[in-house]
Amino acid sequence: MYYQNIYKYDDMKRSEHMAVRQNVGWYLWTHQLIEVTGNDAAAFLDLLFTKPIGTLKIGKERYTTMLDEQAEIIDDVVVFRLAENTFWISTLFAPYMLNWMNMHKGDFQVAYQDITEKYHMYAVQGPLAKDMLNKLVKNNIDEQKFFSIADNEINNIPVKINRAGFTGEKWGYEIYVPAEQADAMEEILRTAGAEFNAKEVTEFQIMAWTLPTEAGFYYMRDLRHTNPLEVGLEKGIDWEKDFIGKEALLKIKETGPQREMLGFTIDEADIFIKGRHYGGPGEAVYVNDEEIGRVYKIVYSYVLEKNIGYILAKKGVLNIGDHIDIHGHEAVIVEKPFI
Amino acid sequence: MSKKIDERLPKNSGQGVVTEYPAIRSPWGKLVSFQEAMHYVSRYDAVMSAVVMQAFRILLPDYEQRAQKMCVSAYNRLEQIQKMYGKYSMVEHNVHPFCRGNFVGALTGDSGDDALLMCGRVQDFGTYRAEKELDVCDWDIVGSDLCRATTQSLQACADVWATNLRPSKSHLEYHMVEAKGCGDLHCRIVAESREKYPMPPHQQWECFGPVATAEQIKFTPEEECIKESMVFREECDYTFANGTNWERDSSSVAMVRMTNAASGYIFPTMMELIQDGTLDEKFTDHVLHCLFEAAGKAAFGEAYAKKGLLQWLGVPAGIDDGRIMGGHIEMYLQALGCEYEIEAFNEKEVIYVIDRKALSFGFDKFVTAHVSYWYGMTKTLVNAQWSLWEESQDTPADKLRIKIAKKIDKFC
Repeated sequence: MYYQNIYKYDDMKRSEHMAVRQNVGWYLWTHQLIEVTGNDAAAFLDLLFTKPIGTLKIGKERYTTMLDEQAEIIDDVVVFRLAENTFWISTLFAPYMLNWMNMHKGDFQVAYQDITEKYHMYAVQGPLAKDMLNKLVKNNIDEQKFFSIADNEINNIPVKINRAGFTGEKWGYEIYVPAEQADAMEEILRTAGAEFNAKEVTEFQIMAWTLPTEAGFYYMRDLRHTNPLEVGLEKGIDWEKDFIGKEALLKIKETGPQREMLGFTIDEADIFIKGRHYGGPGEAVYVNDEEIGRVYKIVYSYVLEKNIGYILAKKGVLNIGDHIDIHGHEAVIVEKPFI
Repeated sequence: MSKKIDERLPKNSGQGVVTEYPAIRSPWGKLVSFQEAMHYVSRYDAVMSAVVMQAFRILLPDYEQRAQKMCVSAYNRLEQIQKMYGKYSMVEHNVHPFCRGNFVGALTGDSGDDALLMCGRVQDFGTYRAEKELDVCDWDIVGSDLCRATTQSLQACADVWATNLRPSKSHLEYHMVEAKGCGDLHCRIVAESREKYPMPPHQQWECFGPVATAEQIKFTPEEECIKESMVFREECDYTFANGTNWERDSSSVAMVRMTNAASGYIFPTMMELIQDGTLDEKFTDHVLHCLFEAAGKAAFGEAYAKKGLLQWLGVPAGIDDGRIMGGHIEMYLQALGCEYEIEAFNEKEVIYVIDRKALSFGFDKFVTAHVSYWYGMTKTLVNAQWSLWEESQDTPADKLRIKIAKKIDKFC
């Protein structure tokens, strides 16, 4: 059966995606924000997250997983240290995180609140992102390091510039702006972008799926009911400190993970394979008539001009370079990131 | 007649001995699992909705007029509801703050489908286009005018949700381009941005396509269709999960108890037309009464239908009186989660006192419909000597007392 690829022939999606890869793309990328304060804030966050938080310098940030007691990933977030005892957590699951914090607060001298409504965030991503932003900001950002956040100003609007992103671009920035200034900021970006052939990315599928997947990133659905050792997120885990899920994760580490998240490509464009990113179980993957995994995501790479995706498979069954059949289509197991 | 309860297993028989098992139970101890019970009540209500729709078709014969009225009613009602509760629902569905536009409304259609046992799959979900395909819909016997109205309820949810987000230049128009109620293999909603995919304007009831992106449709062949919601499938770990990571267990399908097609779409439209004078209430009641009696009689008019029910209820050999009808009603009420008390259950009479509100789905005409329906059933499930009627005297307003017994009625 013929299934037209929903990405390949769509000029609008293609232009938004490639603007980020070739020039610069900007878009509303507001996440939920939880502010954590108090004398024990760092210690509290060290308990919640697998990576060290207390060692973060002011103005720096860290991507980390949050586990439950069984070592299942229940969130993956970026934690910013804004002051000695003030942190921001960028998440897409704030209500769950607040409940989780309530459950584990104990005697920690800490306070936390959802401040999502106070800020909007705009991503500015791509090779020309720095040049475009330097035209706008009061303080030049040439020296701003990756995964750092700093106060700045754009057209007298107080902002925080964060050098990071969900696209894999070396020059990627995020602008935190007071929510009431969002309209003004959009107009500023639209006007300033013209000089750089910038494009506003408007398609959810581009910002959440195609750009991040090319870079090998995970969107939360990809990680549900997995542990960090299965999905390649063990790097940077602080095994010297206590964190929720550590005991279970250590046991998994001893025996080795049972599954692994692998990348695959399919040259054939006009196909349809169910991925878990739409919800549901995802397409079953069989090897020698045995189900060895599920398709977690399948999108289109505009850079590679082929379908790309993830399979969560039984550990050790598949190797890089293997050719397998997924729902009647030939797929190749490949390294991540894809580009 | 003595209001006595004949020999039968007490409601709590076996409690504490057998590990608690979520099931409904017939008066003779036959257990029906939670899963089957939910399917049962879902289809039962769909059948009743089909009768209500036929009544509405008699009362308002013009298809276009009827469909338009239902669409407007559905849109307006859901718009009001979502203005009150939409924000909470968006939090449940993990709608991200960076989303803009009414495409996020597709999430509520997806979760609602699964909870209503209308299993299927999301085929596309983006700012400018969304597609959902269903393999099962218990409401597929009600009528295509209903299918149109359900599409407009989704449109309303989507439109209201969008108002809680940053503005977007994209506005999706939701169309049901295939409908099981029309004989298609699937129900299929395709939502398209009219800014990206222009199409000629149309009336609200014409939300059945055509669409501009028909070539992007992902059609699942019959051999790959599924029969159960995610919460009843092992491959889904018996959990509903959407693309934004909202997960729910099988208790979510109790949603089938909260609504049905008739209560949510047809009755409100009827009531609006009664209020504006288009329909006469007395005649409306008369039509409902006639159709439900006939539908009830038709349900067990053939011997095999009765035989099947006796087996399903586990009725002991030799029982052929009003208790069979009572068993039928009890199973439905249990599946619906509607409280009831047994005042009499013997070979001469059966009396129940039922929670009227829980039975009404918010429309008292539905209670009247049930009584007419069960009356008709009694005539064929037991025999014509038997009857079923409401006893309102000395019954609190919030209760429905029904009696099943022999009765001669020269004007029936």
